[in-house]
Amino acid sequence: MKWRYPLIFIFLVLLFVLIIARLFYWQVVKAEMLSGLAQDQYGGLIRIEPERGEVRTSDGFPIVANKVSYLLYLNPTQIKDKNQEVQVLASLLDMPKASVSAQILPDRLWVKIKSGISASDKGEIEKIKLPGVGFEEHYTRFYPEASIAAQLIGFVGKNQEGQDMGYVGLEGFYNRLLSGKVGYLMESTDALGKPIILSRKPTIGGSNGSNLLLSVDRSIQFLAEQKLKDGIEKYGAAGGMIGIIDPETGNILAMASSPSFAPQEYWKYDESLYSNPFITNTYEPGSVLKPLVMAGALDAGLITPQTECDICGGPVSVSGYDLHTWNDKYYKNTNMIEVIQHSDNTGMVFVALKLGADRMIDYLTKFGFGQATGIDLQGETTPSLKSRSAWYDVDLATTGFGQGISVTPIELLTAFSALANNGKMMQPKVVTAFENASGEITKVPSVVKGQPISEKTAKVMTEILVNAVEKGEAQWTKLPGYRIAGKTGTASIPVKGHYDPNSTIASFIGFGPVDKPKFVMLVILEKPTTSIYAADTAAPLFFDVARNLLNYYGIPPSE
Amino acid sequence: MRKAYVLIIFLLGLTISLSVGKAVLQNTLSTSGIFVGQAEQEINSYKTQNAILSEEVLTASSLTNIMEKAKQSGFTSENVLMVINTSRPLAVKP
Repeated sequence: MKWRYPLIFIFLVLLFVLIIARLFYWQVVKAEMLSGLAQDQYGGLIRIEPERGEVRTSDGFPIVANKVSYLLYLNPTQIKDKNQEVQVLASLLDMPKASVSAQILPDRLWVKIKSGISASDKGEIEKIKLPGVGFEEHYTRFYPEASIAAQLIGFVGKNQEGQDMGYVGLEGFYNRLLSGKVGYLMESTDALGKPIILSRKPTIGGSNGSNLLLSVDRSIQFLAEQKLKDGIEKYGAAGGMIGIIDPETGNILAMASSPSFAPQEYWKYDESLYSNPFITNTYEPGSVLKPLVMAGALDAGLITPQTECDICGGPVSVSGYDLHTWNDKYYKNTNMIEVIQHSDNTGMVFVALKLGADRMIDYLTKFGFGQATGIDLQGETTPSLKSRSAWYDVDLATTGFGQGISVTPIELLTAFSALANNGKMMQPKVVTAFENASGEITKVPSVVKGQPISEKTAKVMTEILVNAVEKGEAQWTKLPGYRIAGKTGTASIPVKGHYDPNSTIASFIGFGPVDKPKFVMLVILEKPTTSIYAADTAAPLFFDVARNLLNYYGIPPSE
Repeated sequence: MRKAYVLIIFLLGLTISLSVGKAVLQNTLSTSGIFVGQAEQEINSYKTQNAILSEEVLTASSLTNIMEKAKQSGFTSENVLMVINTSRPLAVKP
């Protein structure tokens, strides 16, 4: 009989081992799967999509906001008369019938018909009460000022996973900040699918995107865009751009370019229009570079405003090349003030040769050429300076009057702003502050990029530029009573190894009022046809904008 | 002995009253999900309305719209120059 006790004992032990093994299987091996199944049954994780941050101009107005739009979907199983449904939907949604019909697959429960439907259109469609029609709410980008500053802002498209993503400009540069983070909400539901209040837990992670507060002044941006549009039409130009910066802070006040695109319908435009030419296009600056080269020579103590040019009586020959003035007029023993006033190429050859290649490279580098300005926009191009060994005498001479060197408009504007800011060059920036989802504001400090020239040199150069405005080629268009410093630039366009004689890039760069500059502005007109010269095209456009700016700031005439 | 008896009675009473309280509370809240759902729907509807109204306000206060309205009302900042290349008669016979 005794053998029965151990037998039962072994049996019970085996039974317990079996139970423990089974428990281990369900509670450890299969725990995750069961947990998932259970969660699905009594609720689950709800994905909370973050709202993309707004982009606001300096007056707090959102030039990029979000609007409610709807996606219309169909449940084909609920459709009674397919032909009638297709006909009504096609007419309401302004879509071809074939396109609507092709999407209605009978074996599906959910088919997308059209996205981007406005709230008012949704209301109209709902009134008809079509069977099987439903709507999903989405937030899409909304541009209250239409296509204003489009190339500065960029646009929001879709990435490879079909999610919103910012491209070019601010949308591209600050995509991560603007996007925010996806959050999850764990929610339990009852048998009817209603939420159970006691089991509600706080949201896991997630936050809306931050808002960008820009230095761009909406009124100035609007003004620049309008004036640029008018200027292009008036001077028969192929395109153009205007950039305005506050020299004291480096804040970009406006950046307009044309042709441009509409960010709300970006797919309808050629991709080449997406990039901002003010930061991506390179061109030979021509005479607008002269003040910077001369500022370098003044700063190095190689010349003074009264230094006379002893080679300016006629064309200058350098390494076998004859270098002329733009109008073939020559001024013997002209001084440096007159060299800028007449935009005298031979005078600038004199300055460049005095400066020498090493110092020329040094000053161009100090002015930021050959390096990125660091502006907070996606896609900045950085044309590099030639290496020292590639600088021949003729390169040095032509660089003196802005040929044989490539720059971007933003490089030029940044460098020129040093003249207006006592020789101190600020890093250009578009965003002045970020506002996170909780409303906390983080300011972006202004950064000093360098001091290419002394305060004294900047003041001397400013006076030379004021004289150029007062007595130069563009004097007919100057603003009476205001002291504005500026310089015209008519750059030739290199085509297949030579310069196109019939088309130019006309530009004017300047700042004002010179006693306390509020703005530095660069106006560029591409291939103007009414006149190839900047004094007849870019200069009047510059002064037209400048007059409005001075009015806007409430600055009275000083003389 | 009496103290222990009182304590046991007290703890028993507390346990029963807490259990009853929990049952009452759970029963009351079990149907509150419906109201929570309704409230959430209402909040979402207000959010949507708010977004639609914001859109209208921004559109109305945009400089583009103001300029358009100003033009319609007859305001203009520029002199519109008209160039007539050919001479025109003062009056044209019908």
